[in-house]
This record gives sequence, structure tokens and C-alpha cells, in this order.
Amino acid sequence: MPTRALGLTYVQSTILLIVAGAGMLVLLVAASFKLTSETTNRAEAIASERLVRIAARQTHMGLLRAESGQRGYLFTGEEAYLPPYYDGLEEARKGLADLVSRGVDPADTARIAKIMTIVEPKLAEMADTVALAKSGKREEALRVVATDRGLKYMAELRKELEEITTRADTVVGTGLYELAQSAHRLSITTVLGSGLLVSLAVLAFYIVANNTGKLVTAQESLRQMTNDLEERVNDRTLALTQANEEIQRFAYIVSHDLRAPLVNIMGFTSELEGASAQLVDYFKNENATADDRARAAELATSDIPESVGFIRSSSTKMDSLIGAILKLSREGRRELKRERVQLSDVMTASLASLQHQIDEAGVTVDMPDTLPSVVSDRLAIEQIVGNILDNAVKYLAPNRPGRITVSAEESGGRVKLRIADNGRGIEEADLKRIFELFRRAGRLDRPGEGIGLAHVRSLVRMMGGDVTVQSTPGEGTTFVVDLPKKMAIQSTKEQTA
Amino acid sequence: MNTDNANPVTIVMIEDDEGHARLIERNIRRAGVTNDIVPIASGNAAFDYLLGDDKTGAVSAKRALLILLDLNLPDMSGVDILQTIKTNPHLKRSPVVVLTTTDDEREIQRCYDLGANVYITKPVNYDSFANAIRQLGLFVAVMQVPVAD
Repeated sequence: MPTRALGLTYVQSTILLIVAGAGMLVLLVAASFKLTSETTNRAEAIASERLVRIAARQTHMGLLRAESGQRGYLFTGEEAYLPPYYDGLEEARKGLADLVSRGVDPADTARIAKIMTIVEPKLAEMADTVALAKSGKREEALRVVATDRGLKYMAELRKELEEITTRADTVVGTGLYELAQSAHRLSITTVLGSGLLVSLAVLAFYIVANNTGKLVTAQESLRQMTNDLEERVNDRTLALTQANEEIQRFAYIVSHDLRAPLVNIMGFTSELEGASAQLVDYFKNENATADDRARAAELATSDIPESVGFIRSSSTKMDSLIGAILKLSREGRRELKRERVQLSDVMTASLASLQHQIDEAGVTVDMPDTLPSVVSDRLAIEQIVGNILDNAVKYLAPNRPGRITVSAEESGGRVKLRIADNGRGIEEADLKRIFELFRRAGRLDRPGEGIGLAHVRSLVRMMGGDVTVQSTPGEGTTFVVDLPKKMAIQSTKEQTA
Repeated sequence: MNTDNANPVTIVMIEDDEGHARLIERNIRRAGVTNDIVPIASGNAAFDYLLGDDKTGAVSAKRALLILLDLNLPDMSGVDILQTIKTNPHLKRSPVVVLTTTDDEREIQRCYDLGANVYITKPVNYDSFANAIRQLGLFVAVMQVPVAD
């Protein structure tokens, strides 16, 4: 399962973060670039407007100086007024040239064109009057001045130039305001962008840290799982080895036990053949003696019926063996059903079905009021408990009253059911044998086929448990059935010994 | 055989299968062996007979026994009986013929290791079986069995 942060996989969120971060940076750079170039443009525009203003002022100042120099010269005739007149002219021409070259605003160019039409006659008027005065015709020059033509020119010029200045001042004013605005925007953008980038970085850090934590946890659980897996493989291997050994023993026992009656059948069949051959000889022999007759009679009345009897009993024996094997095999293939089983119920029912034998032998049973419950196959547990209790009642010690003690403990997902008796006990050498098919232990003074405990063990193992036995000959036997509290679902298919 | 012996050999046949016991007895008789044959059907009964009530084996002192032993008994393994016989001071010299259906190599080895004198596999084929037993009978007829101490 991929680790997840904010509902996305790690890879997804990482890629998303990188893309978002890159996009943010690009936007930020573009915005900064745009805002910066905007600011630069504004600053340049402001600078050029200021130059236009300066040029207009210079033109105006130059014209004023030239005019006052002209007037001074004309009225006084003093040569001293001429240098300011020329300086003023020069200044005005320079300013005018600047104005023409810088005045690119359409409003300005119209005004400049108008100024150009007025400035020439004005300059010509000034030059004419000065020239008249120089040539000694001061009176005439003064008359020209008195026409107030120059004054009118000057008033118009001042008006136009002042308009240019005012307009430039307005533009500079708004330009400065906008400059401040765009600088403000730039810093806001920068702050916002930086903030976003920092949050992205924090988010990225959170995701990486989160993911690293998860990786460490995942690694840990992976290691745990590997260990568990190894353990399970070991357990399984052990169980399989056990099952395999059991199958081998089973095959050995079955082949051996099936072969024994077969030897009888073959043997007594041959005996029958021998007997019938002898009888044929006897009947063919016309000179039979009394001995021959007695021998023939013995064959017919004793040997032959005996052989037939053995053949019959061996066949029956073989049939019952095959029946028992089939029964075990069917049990092994039966689908186990999982249900909650109260062990105390099963125990009570099993004891009730043995009540007759228990009463007859005077056996006392100690059982706690409550026993644990398990999730398991009821029928199998009934058969397990039934067989063990049946044995406990069957193999009592002859010298004392029987006592059966039932107890159970529950720990680590397993339930251990203990059924102890004070019966005759089992020799240590036989403790393994008793679980094998068709094997019995101790004195064979009770009926039995040697199937019960083999059945018990195969059932217990099918349910994922185990059965063990402890015994002291002459003192008693304790069977411990160790079952999982909850039977695994798949265990039905695994054990098919 | 041993008609001149004061204490003739008793053949102890430890065999749980009555049919096998009968077939063995018939074929031993056919070989001309007339010794007493004591059929015993279980391991516990065998111990009772061989060791006596006190379980010491003293009861077998002065007996001359030849033991035919089937390994596959319902109540215990014949190997345990073999081991007991071969470690009992009164019984250890008695010849033991293991006669069983098992032809497992390890089992045969184990029996010889424990002191079995002869190991015979019961063949399913009856002629071989009868033949084997008759030959065993001939062998019993000529063998000397020590009297236990």
C-alpha cells in the first residue's frame, strides 16, 4: 500500500509540489520582471517629462532675458544690455531645440508647432529693433516696440510654454504616484510569492518528514513480517514433516495390518487345497485302511471347517480394517464448520452419554462450572472429548474409585483443555504408540480396535491444534488438547493425512 | 527331538494373529517337530509367561525355550519384548526367531542389533510361507537350546 499524505500518494504529492513550486517561481519572476520594467518605463517617462519641462522653462527664461536685454538697450542705448540679450537668445534657441527634440507628447507637439510660428516673428522683431538701434535709429525702434506687437508675441509664448510646463508637471505628478504604486505592488508580489514559496517548502518538508516516518514504520513492519513469515515457514515445515512422518507410519501400519489377514486367507486356502487333494486321494483309494478313514474324517470335520473359519474371520477382519481406514479418510476430508462452541456444553453432553458407565463404575467427575468457548468444529470437538472420556472411564485402576478432573486454560489465542484421570496409566514406551492407528497399549482386557486416539489426533491436527499425553503407570493419565481459540478457515484443506 | 533331554525345549509362539499361529503350528508339526508349543497372543501375556508374576524372569530359570516372536502386536512392539528377553539374565540365552510381515531393512537390522538369532519375513505367498516354517521346523529339530540359569 503506498503511503499517503493529504489523500495523495507520496509520488503524486511530491510531483505536485515541485510543479506548484516551479509555477509559483515562474509567476513570481514574470510578475517581478513585468513590474520592474513597468517601473523603469514610468521612471523614464517621468525623466523625459522633466526634461521637456526644463526645456520649456529654459526657452521661457531665455526669451525673457533676451527681451529685457533688448528693452534695456533700446531705452538706454547702453551697450551693456546687449550681452544679456545675446545670451538670452542663445539660451532660448537651445531651450527651443531641446523642446522640439524632446516634446513627443501629441499635446506638446501641437503647442511646439504654435510656439515655432510665434517665436520666429518675435525673434525677428527683437533682432530688427536691435539692428535699428545699432544703426542709430533708436526712435524708429522704440516706435516698433510701442506697437506692443512684441509684447503680444511674448504673452502668447508664455502661455504656451506655461501650458507645456503645467502638463509636464501633471504627468510627472501622476507618474510619481504610479511609480510608488507599482513599487508597492512589486513588494506585495514579492512578499506574497515568498510567503507562498515558504508555505510550499513547509508543506514539502511536512510531506517528506511524514513520509520518512511512514517509511521507517513500513520498514519496521516489513522486517516484522519477514520474521513472522520465517516463523510461519518453520512452523509449516515442522507440521509438514510431522504430517509426512505420520503418513509413512500410517502407510506402514495399513500395509502391515492389511497383509496379516491376507497371509491367513492365502494360507488357509492352500490348506483347503491340500485337504481336498487328500480327500480326493482317499476316495480314489479303494484299499483305504481304517487309519485313512479316520484321517479323512478328521480333515472333513476339523481341518476344513477350521480353515474356512479362518478365511471368513480374516476376510471380516480385513473388511473392518478397510472400513476403519475409510472412516478416518472420510473424517479427514470432511469440511470443518466454524462455529462458537461452549466447551462446557460439549463436556456435559459427552459425560451424559457415558452416564451409564460412570454410574456403574462409581466414577466422580470434577468439572468447573464454566469452561472457555472456542470457534471450531462442534462435531470434531465432541468426538475428541468423547473418545478421551470414553478411555478414561474404560481403563480405570481396579483398586480405587475412578475420578476424572476436567480443567481448561486460555492464553495467547489458544485454549488448553485438560482431561485427567486416576486410571491405570500408560507405560512411557507406549505414549507415542497409543495415537497410532490400530495400536493399543497395556493389558488388552477391554474391547477396542485401536482407532479412537488415532482419530482424536487426526481431528485435533485438522483444527490446527495438538494433543499430548502425560501418564504415570498405576497413577493416572492426563490428556491435553491444545486448540486455537479461533480455528483458521483454511486449515481444513491443509491436513489430509 | 531331544527326547533324551530331561528338560525338552518348549516353543513359545508370541503371535497375536490366531490364523498365523495356527498356520505356523501346522507347518512346524508337518516338519515332524513334536515339542510343546505355547501360543501367546499379546505382549503383556508374553511378559506374564516369560517373566512371571515377580517380573524378574526367575520363572524361566531351568526352562529351555525357543521363542518365535511377531513384531506387530496390538499392545506393544515386539521389539520391546525382544529387548526385554535379551537383557534378562534368565532369558538372554534363549534363541529368538523374529517372524513378522515387515521386511523393513532398519527393523531387521535393529532386531539383530538387539540380539535376535534369526529374522524371517512372513511371505504373503503361502507356499513360501509354509516352506519357510517347515525349514524352521527342521532347524528347530536339530538345534541345541541351552537351559536357562
